[in-house]
Amino acid sequence: MIYLDNGATSFPKLPQVQDAMEWAMTHCANPGRGGHPASMEAAKVVYRCRERAGKLFDCPPDRVVFTENCTQGLNMAIHSLFDPSDTVIVSGFEHNAVMRPLTALHAQIRVAGERLFDPEDTLRAFEKGLKKGAKGAVFTHCSNVFGYILPVKEMAQLCHQYGVPFIVDAAQSAGILPVSLKELGAAFIAMPGHKGLQGPMGTGLLLCGQDLKPLLHGGTGSQSESMEMPDYLPDSGEAGTLNVPGIAGLSAGICWILQHNMEESFRREKKLIKLCAEGLKDQGYRVFSGPEQGPVLSFVGDFDCEEMAQSLSKHGIAVRAGLHCAPLAHQSAGTLKTGTVRISLGPNNTAHDIHRFLQTVRSHP
Amino acid sequence: MKDCMITFRSVTPAQTAEGLLQKANIRCQLRRTPRWLQEQGCGYSLWLSRKDTMEAVSILREMGVAFRKVYLQTENGAARELEL
Repeated sequence: MIYLDNGATSFPKLPQVQDAMEWAMTHCANPGRGGHPASMEAAKVVYRCRERAGKLFDCPPDRVVFTENCTQGLNMAIHSLFDPSDTVIVSGFEHNAVMRPLTALHAQIRVAGERLFDPEDTLRAFEKGLKKGAKGAVFTHCSNVFGYILPVKEMAQLCHQYGVPFIVDAAQSAGILPVSLKELGAAFIAMPGHKGLQGPMGTGLLLCGQDLKPLLHGGTGSQSESMEMPDYLPDSGEAGTLNVPGIAGLSAGICWILQHNMEESFRREKKLIKLCAEGLKDQGYRVFSGPEQGPVLSFVGDFDCEEMAQSLSKHGIAVRAGLHCAPLAHQSAGTLKTGTVRISLGPNNTAHDIHRFLQTVRSHP
Repeated sequence: MKDCMITFRSVTPAQTAEGLLQKANIRCQLRRTPRWLQEQGCGYSLWLSRKDTMEAVSILREMGVAFRKVYLQTENGAARELEL
């Protein structure tokens, strides 16, 4: 199979990720709960992952909170920062992992910046939104539908200038683009463990630039006499037993990222995206591409996107079609009715994969 | 002989401290805090030699690692809090 669906999850998982998970299942008990070797070993595994994540994202290890996925991290961050009826600014390319928690909270959502691959427009609209007054902002680093890399550093600066806290959704950038909690000065950065970080599904990280208001309450192995959650990190965000095999796998994935040249990988994937975009344009399709693009690309044409994806699947090519859980992004780009076919690349993809993909698209009736 | 104990509120700060002390070549061992010394419930401690305790405490203070208390184990197995 030619796997072009890395935006959904990296696949297949690296052998060292699989090995680390298997090892954890036979050597690790519950971390932070006991003093016996199997519990202490688990605690070491967990802490090593915090350290590695801290190194990759410029964040103290004790401010790295483990989550089940990026969505959980975003929910925790939104719950910490906002109250009902607060005005929150978002970009025009947000995923439902941002939009649904804000809607459930009854926040006043102000969408700013709907033009694809136009960072100047994004910044102009974002500042205009901030000028009107807002409690805070939530924005994606890279659109999961179109691969548009938002000017997050400048957006962060604007938030600092206007004195509002912000949350970054790094679902499509963590492990792919540089992300620094320290440099951005974000209140929170949420990310999955199973996409660019190469870890297993069911893992995620929330980097905390400020204290967290617990969303889930329960045992933490600390402050046990109290009926309230600890108010210190990471315990305030980690009620219940951690997914130690998952964290062991995630740690192996982050280790792999740290050992490789992220910039070089990104340049390579960007070249492949360009190759793909040109090939699709030559075939007459409408392709969403621009200079500020991650390893994600969407296209539409005179076809049903799900049928195209199904046809590609029959030929052994895995892509994703539809709305990609991001109706706002489609609304911004004008593709809400049609959806798009999305290809998203990972470290295993080659030019050969792209040529095969283009040939198969050409043969679509 | 590891006869001193620095207590922490949970395993993560204890591990942060362990890493810092190991980097400073201070030998220490991470263990559960005895129940009778626990404040507010479960916690972890670093056991180390008394001669290293002052240096260890100043490293942790300098690096901003929160710890609870420092105890010296007495000959009869009891613990006496050290004011450092």
